[in-house]
Amino acid sequence: MARLSRTVTWLGKAGIAAENTLLVILLVGMVGLSVLQIVLRNFFDMGFFWTDELLRLMVLWVAVVGAVAASRTDRHISINLVDNYLGEKSLVVAKLFVHAFSAAICALVTWFSYDFVQTSHEYGDILLGGVPAWWLQIVLPVGFGLICYRYSLFVVADVLEILGNRKRGEGE
Amino acid sequence: MILVLLAILALMGAPLFAIIAASAMWGFSKESIDLQAIAIEFYGMAELPILLAIPLFTFAGYLLSESGAPQRLVRVTRALIGWMPAGLAIVSLLTCAFFTAFTGASGVTIIALGALLVPALKEAGYPERFNMGLVTSAGSLGLLFAPSLPLILYGVIAEVSIEKLFLAGLLPGFLMLVFLSGYSVWKNRAIRTPISEFSWKEVGQALWQAKWELPLPFLVLGGIYSGYFAISEAASVTALYVLIVDALVLREISLKRLPGIIRESMVLVGGILLILGMSLASTNYMIDAGVPQKLLGAIGGLVDGQLSFLILLLIFLLILGAILDIFSAIVLVVPLILPVAMQFGVDPVHLGIIFLATMQLGYITPPVGLNLFIASYRFERPVLSIYLDTLPFFFFLLASVLVITFWPWLSLFLTR
Repeated sequence: MARLSRTVTWLGKAGIAAENTLLVILLVGMVGLSVLQIVLRNFFDMGFFWTDELLRLMVLWVAVVGAVAASRTDRHISINLVDNYLGEKSLVVAKLFVHAFSAAICALVTWFSYDFVQTSHEYGDILLGGVPAWWLQIVLPVGFGLICYRYSLFVVADVLEILGNRKRGEGE
Repeated sequence: MILVLLAILALMGAPLFAIIAASAMWGFSKESIDLQAIAIEFYGMAELPILLAIPLFTFAGYLLSESGAPQRLVRVTRALIGWMPAGLAIVSLLTCAFFTAFTGASGVTIIALGALLVPALKEAGYPERFNMGLVTSAGSLGLLFAPSLPLILYGVIAEVSIEKLFLAGLLPGFLMLVFLSGYSVWKNRAIRTPISEFSWKEVGQALWQAKWELPLPFLVLGGIYSGYFAISEAASVTALYVLIVDALVLREISLKRLPGIIRESMVLVGGILLILGMSLASTNYMIDAGVPQKLLGAIGGLVDGQLSFLILLLIFLLILGAILDIFSAIVLVVPLILPVAMQFGVDPVHLGIIFLATMQLGYITPPVGLNLFIASYRFERPVLSIYLDTLPFFFFLLASVLVITFWPWLSLFLTR
């Protein structure tokens, strides 16, 4: 148990570092690439055919990585009615339901986006004038898989809290 | 049955993207469409070039809020209008509006400016409860000013020119400022002593200090309307400009803090775009299923013209704003009511301004008004007392929403 909890903690730290690195690269890349495009177009009357497409794909990636980062602290946009009106005990039970539901839905989305990527792989779809599309589309199943993992951890934490086992919380 | 279950889960606090994804997948499976469709529709986000503006403007806004820009802006407005009676209240409203336009009313305004304005207002002798109400309601005040995130998102969803929306928001946004300023002056008419004498020297110094921030609106709007660059390009120029100024020129933000700020802003962006992607799927299903036509049929029986439609729309949006945040409301509801509104002769640009202005009220409407909770958390007050403090501001904003709704000229004049 302690070992599992250590692994989860380590995974958490590595995850934050990976998310931050990706987000910084994506954001700096988007700013740099689009400014470069403006400069090239306005001053040199030239440009690359792939910049627009790459920028759009980077937005998709930022969306997914940002969403993964948001689920780490359960900060997705929601109607926060019960938080402020429910008692502490019933709140945990409500959270358990909500987290289990979210994990299940993300599992489904992961599955079907994996399907989607596989189809695109079979058809040999191409992006950016030569890159296999699934290299870039893989972010969907991976991202939703990670969000699913996050919500599953919340489910475990909720169950442990309901069972009154708070020891694990101190280790993290 | 399933929809009722989803609604209950949503009210229990389930993330809205999961609710929308569930309803879309349920809809697809009912029509026996391959559920890959959810991923295909989500991937459709990569075909909307304008979306680039969302992460870049948000990043620029977060960066600004972490720098010394709020202090400098307050100083400039203070130097310019601090001599008026209730000048500081107006200073607060103006700086909040400017700031929200760049940060997209995500609560950043209350957190970044509240700490600055509330003590200053208190020192100048304004009543505590007025200050709470002022800062809480001003936290979403700049929503109608370019380049606010909700304006861009509405343009994306409704397929309306964002350039037009930016212009259309100017006069209605200004009207809200005038209404709230008028109330503030009247309410504090006893506070006659101006906070400062007008001095050219102070104006000059304040302007000089804020020389890096002041060109921003001109950079954004000037660049767009001179045709020099598109909206998303304006966003990248803004992001680069703010980054260079804050990290390299003024050095107020060390490079070490940058990843944290990028992360914070992209968490918000990820949250918004995740909902957008899922709603692309659910909207497509609902349009296939003919929901707008059914809606039109149902509403057609209730109303007999534009006026009664607008009244019904306002009531609906007020309720919607009280339970749903502005971003989810835009992506979920706009595709359904836009065709209906156009049947009743409402201009899509005008509809957007009505929609956002009404949703702005939602920020300070219980039970879920976001700003109420942020202010309550930030200033450590019970939500209920914050709500009571905001009530007078709520009514003045409501009055301006009525004017905006029933006087289309105000929104459409500049776009002609």
